[in-house]
Amino acid sequence: MKEKAIAKEKVCGRPRLRNLMPGITCPGCHYGIIIRLLCEVIDEMGIEDNIIGLAGVGCSYAWPMTFDIDFGSCPHGRAPAMATAIKRIHPESVVFTVQGDGDLGAIGLGCFMNALLRGEKLTTIFLNNAGYGMTGGQMAPTTLPGMRTTTTPYGRDPKTTGYPLHAAELVATMKSVAYSARCTVHTPANYQRAKRATKMAFKKQIDGIGYGFVEFLSACPSVWGLSPVESLQFIEEKMLAEFPLGEFKNVDSID
Amino acid sequence: MDRGEIVIQEGLCRGCGLCAVFCARGCIVIPQDKVSFKGYPIPIFVEQERCNACGVCGWMCPEYAIEVYKYVER
Repeated sequence: MKEKAIAKEKVCGRPRLRNLMPGITCPGCHYGIIIRLLCEVIDEMGIEDNIIGLAGVGCSYAWPMTFDIDFGSCPHGRAPAMATAIKRIHPESVVFTVQGDGDLGAIGLGCFMNALLRGEKLTTIFLNNAGYGMTGGQMAPTTLPGMRTTTTPYGRDPKTTGYPLHAAELVATMKSVAYSARCTVHTPANYQRAKRATKMAFKKQIDGIGYGFVEFLSACPSVWGLSPVESLQFIEEKMLAEFPLGEFKNVDSID
Repeated sequence: MDRGEIVIQEGLCRGCGLCAVFCARGCIVIPQDKVSFKGYPIPIFVEQERCNACGVCGWMCPEYAIEVYKYVER
């Protein structure tokens, strides 16, 4: 009896649209997982030839170098403004911005809200890691109450520094927004949900309905002072209590 | 049940340990005494006969250091 030959089939590896540049993030950072997610979404939707990404300033500054798609860097917080210009010059292209919480929530909140008020048809990937990662762990607008950072060494006190920014809920109240969701990639099941949400946010832009917004809760072990595995528990216990997951807006037409 | 194997590229690994957390069948362990040339503790694929090539370790690896292969009969 002839024995069957056994071949190896690749199940998983480096995504096709991620080039060979090594990652620049700290060990345990979820940005690598989110880059994989975006690469897979762009690959599966078949839009890599006419997609243009724009990264803000923060730990996402190196994303233009890591993708095999058109990608640009922006000044602090000005990614929605540049994306508006690119989208108006090339209306057939798919334009998305990648912004951290300091970039979108603090420095660029004005630009971001104005892009929503103008009714732009863009997609924004908001990376919420509850702190300023690249500059050394200062307090960000999304820092949890009581959380220790280098500028709030006794914990964030809401009496003097306010309460965290809930960007996905805020965006969902705007008329021009077609899709708003909050996801995380801290478990494989949530990774698949996040992938569906990201696809939907791109689809709303491609169909010309409105703005698509996806917020990711991302671990930052360096700023939180935890190990990568403890960071997963921190997201599960602390972050999800403050930032609930789910879709906050999903409409098929805006009147 | 499908069978498979994984290949860990030690030069890319940063020892975060997420692969060992997410492997549902306990095939990956991180002995803290084995370190890569960069100084990170690296995972070891121990239980080859238990791996079912689901690929979760590969797609939850932030550094793309794990490649998962499934055995298929031809």
